[in-house]
Amino acid sequence: MAVIESVPNGSALAPIEVSSVPTVVGINFGNSYASIAVLNKEGQAECIANEDGERQIACAIAFQGEEIYIGNQAKQQLVKNAENTITGFRNLLGKKFSEIKQDAAATSAPVIQHPDRADEPAYCVKVLQPAPSPLPSSATPKTATPTASRLATPRSEPVPALRFLTPADATTLFLRSLLQSAEDFLGRKADGAVISVPAWFAPAQLIALRAAAADAGIAVLQLLDDAGAAAVAATSAPTAEDLPADRTQLVVDLGASGLALTLLRVSDGLFSALAASYTPDASGDALDARLLRFFAKDFTKKTKVPLAIGDATDRRAEARLLLALEHTKRTVSASAGAATCSVESLKDGLDYTGTINRLRFDLEARPIYTAVVSAASDLLSSVDLDWLHVDELVYVGGSACLPGLDDALAACYSEDAATPFKAGTVAGGGPGDPTTLLARGCALQAGLLARIDDEAVRAAFAQGTETPTVAKTLGALFPAADGESEGEWVPLVHAGTPLPARRMVSVALDGPAGFELWEADECIKTERVKPPKAEPLSDEEDEEPAEVEEEEEVEVKEKVVGRETLLGAARLPGEGKREIEVAVVVGKDGSVEVSAGEPGGAREVVVKV
Amino acid sequence: MASSIRPPVIPPPLPESWTPPAAPSKSISPLLQRRLIPAGPAYLAHVQRTTHGLSFEEHDKRIAEERALKEGAQSNGNSEDDLGVGDEPESLGLLALDPKEWKKQDHYAVLGLSHLRWRATDEQIKIAHRKKVLKHHPDKKAGAAGETNDDAFFKCISKAMDVLTNPEKRRQYDSVDFGLQDIEDDVPTPAQVTKAADPNKAFFEFYEPVFEREARFSRKEPVPMLGSYDDGKAEVEGFYDFWYNFDSWRSFEYLDKEVNEGSDNRDDKRYTEKKNKTERARRKKEDTQRLRLIVDQALSVDPRIKRIKQEEKEAREAKKKNKGGAVAAGGGAKVKAEEEKRKEEEEAKRKEEEEKVAKADAKKAKAAAANAAKKARRAARQAEEAAATGGGLAS
Repeated sequence: MAVIESVPNGSALAPIEVSSVPTVVGINFGNSYASIAVLNKEGQAECIANEDGERQIACAIAFQGEEIYIGNQAKQQLVKNAENTITGFRNLLGKKFSEIKQDAAATSAPVIQHPDRADEPAYCVKVLQPAPSPLPSSATPKTATPTASRLATPRSEPVPALRFLTPADATTLFLRSLLQSAEDFLGRKADGAVISVPAWFAPAQLIALRAAAADAGIAVLQLLDDAGAAAVAATSAPTAEDLPADRTQLVVDLGASGLALTLLRVSDGLFSALAASYTPDASGDALDARLLRFFAKDFTKKTKVPLAIGDATDRRAEARLLLALEHTKRTVSASAGAATCSVESLKDGLDYTGTINRLRFDLEARPIYTAVVSAASDLLSSVDLDWLHVDELVYVGGSACLPGLDDALAACYSEDAATPFKAGTVAGGGPGDPTTLLARGCALQAGLLARIDDEAVRAAFAQGTETPTVAKTLGALFPAADGESEGEWVPLVHAGTPLPARRMVSVALDGPAGFELWEADECIKTERVKPPKAEPLSDEEDEEPAEVEEEEEVEVKEKVVGRETLLGAARLPGEGKREIEVAVVVGKDGSVEVSAGEPGGAREVVVKV
Repeated sequence: MASSIRPPVIPPPLPESWTPPAAPSKSISPLLQRRLIPAGPAYLAHVQRTTHGLSFEEHDKRIAEERALKEGAQSNGNSEDDLGVGDEPESLGLLALDPKEWKKQDHYAVLGLSHLRWRATDEQIKIAHRKKVLKHHPDKKAGAAGETNDDAFFKCISKAMDVLTNPEKRRQYDSVDFGLQDIEDDVPTPAQVTKAADPNKAFFEFYEPVFEREARFSRKEPVPMLGSYDDGKAEVEGFYDFWYNFDSWRSFEYLDKEVNEGSDNRDDKRYTEKKNKTERARRKKEDTQRLRLIVDQALSVDPRIKRIKQEEKEAREAKKKNKGGAVAAGGGAKVKAEEEKRKEEEEAKRKEEEEKVAKADAKKAKAAAANAAKKARRAARQAEEAAATGGGLAS
């Protein structure tokens, strides 16, 4: 037997990494909050917490003396150190000072013109700079008095100084801390990262973000659209497997600083945006403002101490209340019961504890919900689509966790539409959790990109490609013998499918079979029908029959298929009971080829257009 | 491979009158341009297809190839492949083992490696250990029926792992492997071979596993194996030469008696150590003798030896015949000379023997004389003593 040479302690090599999962980070970089995700051993994306245990990392940087706070700790500084705390810097990236709207009293460090660079925004913060280091001791001449100490003179006190930070500097600082958190979690250096960006980011802003990320030491694999990241995460969820491969997805991104709606066409995993809109008015901040007013009123009622929101004198109390609201909103999102909001020493040394139940909360949030619904309806009508066409809703952003939002939208979308609330995947960090969805989507995308070694393919990810798509739905009609219906319609290639495309359908057949290939238009038929009459009450005591008379007609919508052009027809091979696989391939030039055969076996071409 | 979807509708039976109608249009509506979002695995597949101009079938094939390649690479690593460790069910006796008696347990059987034994590599031992631990860890059994010594077998597993992962301990255990004792004692006898229907075949059948088993103890590598019936003289001789000079690493420390734990008596310790040392030496000697006996017996019934002798004889005879009459006269003279030589030798031998006998006789005589002298002396002493006592009494 071979005697293994003994290995001294401490010289063991690190275990060789056999895992095929790349070490990548997905960063959701929002204006108010950010989150980071990594791939776990199974290759699934997982949103991770930073050192403070926060999955929702506030985009804030605070300077206090020699210290720099980043994240949620910095947000706490808004109470006492607001003028040295920077927030909301992402949206200012790559913008000129003249382009920035100078809006009302800011709660954090104001944006000013950079003192040295022309037309560049900057934040000015007071910091304590460490005192300059003493002169090297060797500088003392040899003839110096013998009593002179050879020790360096002790450092003097740090000196207060002004520091100017551009939004890009702030972004670099912040992204570096995110990367650090992720690498601490992974235990290794990250190979690359995908950062999510809003769809409305201008090219200059993208360039600025890329540069800031590079300064932070992040190898950016891609800057991915928010909608794209959401779609990637939503389609990779296990619940998405039950949904049809071709569907229309509405991504509702209700963040702290605005509402972004995107209507996506998902065709077997390929995403194309049909329409998108951005509404800055409907936002989590607007909701916060309403809630602030509600609680301030409640406080005044309880303590007889006036608390005015938006007043410079009560700014500190407002900031305190705002921080406490964060918790209240999370409680409302997570449970059906009442949520408390408690602040110690809110004003004049008085504590405040108030509760708000779901009903009251939804009442306060109603205007925001209504704004979301109307924005979504506008978006759909802008591309001539109806709510019936929406097969799936995806919620993104902290405020989208509120169940009231889904309730408000439920009045519009069809009963068959899939939402994360219906699937029950929102609570408990499930796959549909709106707060982590973007980061997870970015991590999945980063994992995908890290595996690509083909340069030509990688280049195609830098920008979306223009692709021809099918204008009208192609489908097969299996004619029926009886005169009642014309036959069974099976849609094969839906309108909007990018080319080249292939769809396969397997049908169970009995006896001889044939089909006709049609081009069709899927539209919505609206009928006005009377609702079924309510059962008349059995009692004769009811003496108010008049109201039933004015029954209004109700609009009932239905998806219908209007066949337009016949493209071809053919008999299907085989006899008796059998299973036939029909494959349709639509080429880039619009050529159609239908082939049929046994599942898994060879297929013969039956129709060619 | 794209999976096919199953529509919720079942196509109705085709009307008999139906014939494929002629299509009025020969192309689909004009295509619309749309921008794809560069995200998701489907986009990657789409880009691969368009940049390399692949058809769907070609792309499917490529993906299947890549997957096969990846899986191959993974199994070369160590993820799924268990290197042939397999799963051995534990017998009830094995599960009832007492961890205190770990010195007597069959470590290979405990780890489910009884089909590999000394052939098991370190990697295989690791895999087997992991498998057993996953199955028998006390945490896994916490919920099950509340047996008190639930972790007894787990302790046995850890002990077995302890022994088998330490090269020195494993060598010691391999020397005495309890699982092989029964097989080791079951050595074929020459009678078994000669009485078999086909002794030639039986010899190889019986002895091959024996030598294969013993080969593991060799310090020298490679170890020549029994070979086949048609081996030449050099090979056969080489084989027996090697096995008669077998250099074995087998040692018997494993069977040492423990020094009594309680006593710190140095003498006690030394005594046990000494005893163990002699015991080891005795066992080693026995083992060498055992192996020698096996080789002896094998040699005695080896059909190849007979064959080679026969062949040599035939060759000699053929040679003789060849030379035959041509050198008859010379031959006669030679034969005579040889005969003389033999006679001389015989005579010398006889003389030697006679001398030996004579020597022995002389020795005997000498011994007898010495005996007689002794007897005489003893008698004289007795007489003297008797006289002394008699004198004492008298006085």
